[in-house]
Amino acid sequence: MSARERETANVGAGLWKGLGMWAWILFRVSGVVLAAYLFVHIWVISQGRVSGAETLDGLFEFFDRPFLVFLDSVLVGAVLYHALNGVRILLMDLGIGIHRHKAVFWVCMFVAALAVWGFAYKALPMIF
Amino acid sequence: MRTETLDRSRGGMWPWLGQRVTAVVIIVTIMIHLVLTHFVAIGRLSFDDIGARLASTAVLVNDVLLLVAVVYHALNGVRMVVLDYGFSGRGARRGFDAFLWVAGVVAVVYGVWALWVWVR
Repeated sequence: MSARERETANVGAGLWKGLGMWAWILFRVSGVVLAAYLFVHIWVISQGRVSGAETLDGLFEFFDRPFLVFLDSVLVGAVLYHALNGVRILLMDLGIGIHRHKAVFWVCMFVAALAVWGFAYKALPMIF
Repeated sequence: MRTETLDRSRGGMWPWLGQRVTAVVIIVTIMIHLVLTHFVAIGRLSFDDIGARLASTAVLVNDVLLLVAVVYHALNGVRMVVLDYGFSGRGARRGFDAFLWVAGVVAVVYGVWALWVWVR
């Protein structure tokens, strides 16, 4: 084993388990989903210029159906999870709350859940 | 501290810092974007409704700032994920980086161009 291999062999050991693993997996999945949504979003809004106001309003009308509003709410959930888990990562980078990292995680998730509830409250009448 | 965690094959220092700086910009601007769109919306979501919001220079600046930051953040994030599984060779990584920069600049220019239908 080379010096470099020896140095890196143990990197990440103990990370692939428990709450931290799930936080990381969900962060990645939500990140990839949001990146994909971003480009769809840019394309949809750009139809206002590409094809005009009527086309864009037609798209908005198409999106105004229960299942798609529900998906919108899931998207808001992904944004807020990604944002608040990101805040946790920034705090850890700055060394804030490292010794209480699980508590920091749950506080962040509580804030995310509160915000999601706010958006869901607005969306529910459009779903049901 | 391990020095290799920030070395080039793992992404580099500037992308690491850029991801954090854009994260802070996005948290502020996306909050404004979402609250304006879904809570203080002037009417039903429509072409005219978007125009009414973007008539404010502050909202336009917020949305353009969000666009730039989020395109960087998204593509840099995709780069992080991809580098975890491949493209770790110098040549492949450079080609991939060049592709992402072109894609990012195109997305931002296209996005701003699209928004300008509401700017008079």
